[in-house]
Amino acid sequence: MTEMFSTLYGQNEAQAPPGASSLGFGPGKPPPPLQQNQASMPGQMPPQLGDEGPALRKPGAMNEPFYLLRELPVGNELTGNTNLITHYNLEHAYNKFCGKKVKEKLSNFLPELPGMIDCPGTQDGSSLRSLIDKPPVCGNSFSPLTGALLTGFRLHTGPLPEQYRLMHIQPPKKKSKHKHKHHRPQDPLPQETPSDSDPKKKKKKRDDDPDRKKKKKDKKKKKNRHSPDHPGLAGSQPNSNSLR
Amino acid sequence: MAEKFDNLEEHLEKFIENIRQLGIIVSDFQPSSQAGLNQKLNFMISGLQDIEKCRQQLHEINVPLEVFEYIDQGRNPQLYTKECLERALARNEQVKGKIDTMTKFKSLLISELSKVFPEDMAKYKAIHGEDAPS
Repeated sequence: MTEMFSTLYGQNEAQAPPGASSLGFGPGKPPPPLQQNQASMPGQMPPQLGDEGPALRKPGAMNEPFYLLRELPVGNELTGNTNLITHYNLEHAYNKFCGKKVKEKLSNFLPELPGMIDCPGTQDGSSLRSLIDKPPVCGNSFSPLTGALLTGFRLHTGPLPEQYRLMHIQPPKKKSKHKHKHHRPQDPLPQETPSDSDPKKKKKKRDDDPDRKKKKKDKKKKKNRHSPDHPGLAGSQPNSNSLR
Repeated sequence: MAEKFDNLEEHLEKFIENIRQLGIIVSDFQPSSQAGLNQKLNFMISGLQDIEKCRQQLHEINVPLEVFEYIDQGRNPQLYTKECLERALARNEQVKGKIDTMTKFKSLLISELSKVFPEDMAKYKAIHGEDAPS
């Protein structure tokens, strides 16, 4: 077999590349020295450290010319060959989150939550990370406040100073003014005639009315001029006759 | 499972709403508001008790720490889910590509080796079978 390789690759001496020999694929190179307690067997692969792969073939099956033969992986094992999103029935989640654009801000996820929640939590010490780093004292049960304890919560009358009015601050909401305008023509609700619903058009029509009347008048005049009953036309006829 | 989350969500919403109302009372406190304030404070305690009860039901739920980072940065945690799914699909496709390439390489190698070493390959096929799983 070594001869065949050498004839194939045009080498007189079968010399494997250093990388290959170090990996144990070299043709005839001795395996690296083993530890004293490990006995090397001819035709068997030296044990590799940290290799937890499939077990080597049984010595009986490891016939020449093969060594380093291992059991092939089991065919029905779940690998990246299958679509794992489909396998775990996550298509719905994938379409939900990846099909459309997810809004960036936290307030879009929790729109009902009062206060400015889009600011980084590290700014006001409200981060969840700080809860993990410094866990609160747990274990004590919650008991309702009795009359004596409630006296500690007597407050001064009057408004709170500005810096403590965090509850009133809300993230600015986008105005949907433009959107509303764009959707207007598609709105199936208005059943009125365009002239009734649109005041601008109505006004324009009214403005146009005098011009229209003028034009109509001019047309009428022209018609009358060309009509045989028109006095101007009757007067012109003779002139044409006179030319003949 | 969903009922547990719904229960917790409901309690959290009630708690937040109570805190919001408490904030309104406190923001412009009047002497007549003291009774309402006391009531709200006790509602807060009972709300915390309810949330504490939910904790036992959700003991086995694990939340990735990265989600907390998203929330701390004021970002929508659904973006984390989205990125996870996209990453998983991309990695899935990558691995599938590698497996397909290796499968092709294997069949090509076997066919080429069979031409050059027919006897050895016959032995190999006897051990591993003709259509070994890829």
